[in-house]
Amino acid sequence: MSENTTEFGPLEATLPRDLATNNDRLLITRWAAGVLVLAATAFCAHVLNLPLPETLLYLLGFFILAYNGGLTWAISRARLTDHRLYMARLRRFVIVQIALDWLSMAVFLHLTGGITSPALIFFFLHVLMVTILLPGQPPYLYAALAIGVAVAIAALEATGVLPHYIVIPGLPSDLHTDLAYVVAQIIFFATALFATVYLTASIMARLRERDRKIAALFQTTHDVSSTLNLSDVLDQLARNAAQALFVPAASIRTIDEDGDRLRIAAAYGLSQAYFDKGAVELSGNPLARRVLATGPVIVPDTNNEPGLQYPEKVTEEGIQSMLVVPIAGRTRPLGLLRVYAHEPNYFTEDDADFVLTIAQQGATAIENALAHDALQRVDQEREQFVRIVTHELRSPVTGAQSLLSILLRGMLGKLTPKQHDIIERLDRRMDALLALINDLLVFAAAKSGQHDPLDAVPLQPTLRRVIDRFAAQAEEKHLTLTCQEACDELLSVQATEEGLVRILDNLVGNAVKYTPDGGAVRISVAPGTQPGTAAVAVADTGIGIPAEVIDRLGEEFFRASNAKQSGITGTGLGVAIVKQLIDRFGGQMHVESAEGKGTTFTVTLPVVGQEQGKAGAS
Amino acid sequence: MTKILIIDDDPDMRLANRLILEEAGYEVVEAANSAEGLEMIKADPPALIILDVMMDTTTEGFQTALALRSRAPNSEYEAYHDIPIIMLTAIHDTTSVRFGPDEDYLPVEAFIDKPIKPDKLIATVKKLLDK
Repeated sequence: MSENTTEFGPLEATLPRDLATNNDRLLITRWAAGVLVLAATAFCAHVLNLPLPETLLYLLGFFILAYNGGLTWAISRARLTDHRLYMARLRRFVIVQIALDWLSMAVFLHLTGGITSPALIFFFLHVLMVTILLPGQPPYLYAALAIGVAVAIAALEATGVLPHYIVIPGLPSDLHTDLAYVVAQIIFFATALFATVYLTASIMARLRERDRKIAALFQTTHDVSSTLNLSDVLDQLARNAAQALFVPAASIRTIDEDGDRLRIAAAYGLSQAYFDKGAVELSGNPLARRVLATGPVIVPDTNNEPGLQYPEKVTEEGIQSMLVVPIAGRTRPLGLLRVYAHEPNYFTEDDADFVLTIAQQGATAIENALAHDALQRVDQEREQFVRIVTHELRSPVTGAQSLLSILLRGMLGKLTPKQHDIIERLDRRMDALLALINDLLVFAAAKSGQHDPLDAVPLQPTLRRVIDRFAAQAEEKHLTLTCQEACDELLSVQATEEGLVRILDNLVGNAVKYTPDGGAVRISVAPGTQPGTAAVAVADTGIGIPAEVIDRLGEEFFRASNAKQSGITGTGLGVAIVKQLIDRFGGQMHVESAEGKGTTFTVTLPVVGQEQGKAGAS
Repeated sequence: MTKILIIDDDPDMRLANRLILEEAGYEVVEAANSAEGLEMIKADPPALIILDVMMDTTTEGFQTALALRSRAPNSEYEAYHDIPIIMLTAIHDTTSVRFGPDEDYLPVEAFIDKPIKPDKLIATVKKLLDK
């Protein structure tokens, strides 16, 4: 709902661009004009033997070429500065150029016979150009100026203050003093000039309006596709519609699920008091019902519109006319887009078509957002379901194992070796089952948590915590478990805390698990080879991974044959989980292994925060 | 005898805990849910509480721990702030749980993973009671 548009927002962008290209055209035309003045003078004076003030005309030609050169140079310099400054200067240049051109044309008119000169027609050219370049009132002003210049020259020549040059010998030498001729000439000139300005200006206004609408539609398409935040998108659409139509305000209301209440979803240029006017219901708003039933409605005068729910608030807001279009979804109406004007009879059928197009984009945005919400809800429900199911699956297993551990420990009487063996086997099978359930839970959570936002998670402390957890297990197996931190600064990686723990946990856990007694697990953390990344390497002296199956490591439930034969329990989900998480965090995993010698897993993750530059450079 | 309260909705888990702790020489009382457990704490405060996380709801144990440790003025459990709590979690490999975006880590003394390992349970209980 913000109003802080820049001076050259996307909607106004086409106008200055026209100004720039048209200005280039003006410069080229002027080169031609200067050369033409010189050439024509020479031709008329020497071939046609016309009695021209030759020297003065040559001087004029050179003057035109000189100031055109100066302008070209100044504009190319201005182009080097920033865009906004360039545009501001360009506007000034247009005015300077027009002033110089006026001077040249006035002199040219005078030198070629004043009011009897055929050059009078050149003024049309210039007024036409001004009308195309500058919107609003200036063209009329310039037309009046042109007429003023013509009148002034005619008057000064007729009264003998300025000399009168006879360029066309066939014309009577005192034609410029003939009152009827001079007055008629000026009246026709003035009428034609004003008519030209009027017609061109109205065509240009229409063209500019189309330009604005097309730009607004482009912008709208872009807005809809660039963000999933519905409220932002609708705000932008309301603003685009209002700005393209040059009106002060617009709003979007969406229909609630119950199908009656119209909730304000976006607004541009409306007062808080207007929002607070109260609930808008379809049942109390005949106008809204009409729009949803039959399509766009133009209210030419809000004072005479019985269908409004709060007519007095509309009047208070200064709204005199409005245009209301439906936002129609594929299966049901979704809402209304309204634009408001402070003048009556403002909107045209053309405007209605245009706003309807914007409303259709709005419908797409709303339906996308609804679909996205529905997906997220399903995601959450599934996550909750998985959590509960897993708990239900795990409880009996952990309960049974807890009881078995009491038997195994001989707390209820000493077991025979056979009894002990059987119960131990039971316990191991339960272990395997529990591991599978745990991994399935994590795997499902990782799949459904794919929309969780990523944070900056400190890498080294998380890694130390994970390693600490495996210290006892490593000691039991007489493994050397070391961690080397090859950088002083804290690296924060783009991840979720739970996900990062899960990755490190799996890698360190696997290394400890698959390394025989007396081996070594060496972990290192360092800036990645690519700038802006951090790398964690976990190297073990374990059983290794056969080369032919390294590529299959990310597959769900895949376990290498040597891992299966080793008698070590595993689910084949650990690395799949790791891989899935790394992909989500935008990282990479690299595996190097020699069967029987050991494996090195290297995980590279993007670094975030202030440390990024340092980490990338070191 | 030192009294330990077990709050868990799983009778097998309560039995396992009871057998282990009684063997180690503690007196054990049981509650099948948090409400019952909190009443027992108020009636006769134990020396230590063993608390399951997932009971009627997935976070019931967390809620109970937070209530017992609440620093809010006039908390009805103010007198029991110092009773050590061991959380029984099925949350795999968890050493600490961040409870919410604004909460600090869950203010309990220890976490024990299920299934229960007798030695680990006894060691943890001893450590907390010896303090």
